[in-house]
Amino acid sequence: MRFWEIGKRNLKELYRDPVALAFLLGMPLVFILIFSFAFGGQATRPLSIGIVDEDRSQISSAFVNCLESIPALEVAPSIYHSQSQAEEELDTGELSIYLLIPHGFGEAVQHQQAIDLQLAYNEADPMLPQRAVPVIRAVALEFLNIPVPLNIELRETEVEIKDEYINFMIPGMAVFGLMILIPSVGGIMVRDRVKGFLSRLMTTPARPSDFIFGYTLPFIPVIVVSVAIYLGVGVLMGLSIIGNLGLAFLVLFIMGICCLGIAMLLGTLAKSEEQASGAPWIFIVPLAMISGGWWPIEQMPSVIRDIAGVLPFMHAMDASRSVITLGVGLEAITNDLLYLVGWTVVIFALGVILFRRSMRG
Amino acid sequence: MNETFAIQTFNLTKIFNGLVAVDGIDLNIKKGELFALLGPNGAGKTTTINMLCCLLKPTSGTAQIMGYDINRQPFKIKGIIGVSPQETAISERLNPQENLNLIGEIHGMNPRELKSRSQQLLETMGLADRAKDQVRKFSGGMKRRLSIMMALVHNPEILFLDEPTLGLDPQARRIMWEYIARLKEDKTILLTTHYMDEADFLADRISIVDKGKIVALGTSAELKTSMLEKHTMIIYAQNLTQKVIKEMRARYAEVEITNGTITISAQKLDFKEIVDLLHTSGATVRSAYIKEPTLEDVFLHITGKELRE
Repeated sequence: MRFWEIGKRNLKELYRDPVALAFLLGMPLVFILIFSFAFGGQATRPLSIGIVDEDRSQISSAFVNCLESIPALEVAPSIYHSQSQAEEELDTGELSIYLLIPHGFGEAVQHQQAIDLQLAYNEADPMLPQRAVPVIRAVALEFLNIPVPLNIELRETEVEIKDEYINFMIPGMAVFGLMILIPSVGGIMVRDRVKGFLSRLMTTPARPSDFIFGYTLPFIPVIVVSVAIYLGVGVLMGLSIIGNLGLAFLVLFIMGICCLGIAMLLGTLAKSEEQASGAPWIFIVPLAMISGGWWPIEQMPSVIRDIAGVLPFMHAMDASRSVITLGVGLEAITNDLLYLVGWTVVIFALGVILFRRSMRG
Repeated sequence: MNETFAIQTFNLTKIFNGLVAVDGIDLNIKKGELFALLGPNGAGKTTTINMLCCLLKPTSGTAQIMGYDINRQPFKIKGIIGVSPQETAISERLNPQENLNLIGEIHGMNPRELKSRSQQLLETMGLADRAKDQVRKFSGGMKRRLSIMMALVHNPEILFLDEPTLGLDPQARRIMWEYIARLKEDKTILLTTHYMDEADFLADRISIVDKGKIVALGTSAELKTSMLEKHTMIIYAQNLTQKVIKEMRARYAEVEITNGTITISAQKLDFKEIVDLLHTSGATVRSAYIKEPTLEDVFLHITGKELRE
């Protein structure tokens, strides 16, 4: 239990240093708040909407083109031809709202008959129809150019995603936020090395694994609090957690432990605090990018996707997004979890091996 | 295992990127002995200690601590040594009691024994009244004392003290010396220092190290007497005549006179004869003494350079 003694010491050192603690715990809060201010304002973004064109007439196509040209709307790239397709995407959270152009739309326009449109939306966000109806009504009247009766029927769905953008971004941001703990945590071991304290401990019978786990231990509560902040603030910003919260927490927690393992590698290899605080940025930002932190990985070249697929970060993002947004269970993310746990074990084992080497200069 | 020696080194060598830091050192340190490695900064003292504490792997050669080999049994050695490094290397946001507990618990001491040992050390070293204060607020001297306590708390057989008084004021150094002197015989102590008075005051035997090599080894007295071929007498006198100066220069090869101070160096000096000669010539002798050789003189004699502090 020597690791426990080293861990207790590190715990006291960390929690008695208000500046270091404020940085470690305040960083995720500041990070997520800045993110929310920067990206969270729904009013400034166009309304993302899907369109189901059941009519498939020239007139309905022209109407769709008209809708697409409106800056206030962001029409989904593919136009659905059946309601079931759109309904499925509404269920999975890919869509928040869609407009159904029914059969007979073109004919009704030609004969100047009453026109019926249908808006289906996520019931969790009642603001959606309030934003969508006036825009669609205005576009339709402009398109028809003559006053005809226009009915827009509203239909709620049981899907609970409030903001798919937030649901995409928060898990990515949480993983990135855990990654940026790496320099701070690794730096603490390097500081002890530079000041000679680590060398003093190395003259005791403590084993390499005692050091690695002893320096990891105090940061486990930091990981727990960080993940809680990311998910908690995320919910306040509009994150809809469809699946099991505990499972989402577990995925991000394991990612956090994996990041601590990387920090231990850094602490073992870096020769100065400057190296520990600077060098990790060379890989943190690119890895977060290619792992799908800011935009979907499907948009990237296949080589990049393959590289990201080997590393743990993409799996953490995928698994947490699947649980949070799609509501999947443990079975569906087992592969991602195995990847994460596997990487965590390998990184800690490597940390112990490299630390053993560093103990004999 | 040799029953007499606590520490033995065998052609111990460390080379860093082509630079020879320790050059084939052979040492035999007896049990209960306080042995000093004396030398200027960069002589290889700390590198030697780091190899003996199993922090550095020798490039060649080896050493044994209480019969355990530094290359093959490092964790056996770590269980029986206590180390006070050159940097004070204490945990700044812990209090002295917690620092002592950390080392004691890593060494697997039972809590009752640890508590009593810590209390005893805190009282002996004068830190009992500050036992609950975070050490970052302590003076350099207090931190040094705590560092040595951390090396002692688990009652090791072998103690390594790397520059134990570095950066302390003269009064604090003297207190530290007295404490280290009290540890003699109870433990085998290997101490490194670049303060010759420290080695002179504390060590049973001294090894003078320069450029990674042992250039002299023995007790302080042995080093001073065996290494020096000349003795020096210093006389403060007034009313010196040219005649007496000429006569002294005729008898002794090296006679220097500066502002009434006569310095005479020779293999054999007759104190009474010189004083009588001056009196007879009418000079007034204010003081006269035979200068004791210092380790500085020994170092200068051997290496041709001064042991800078």
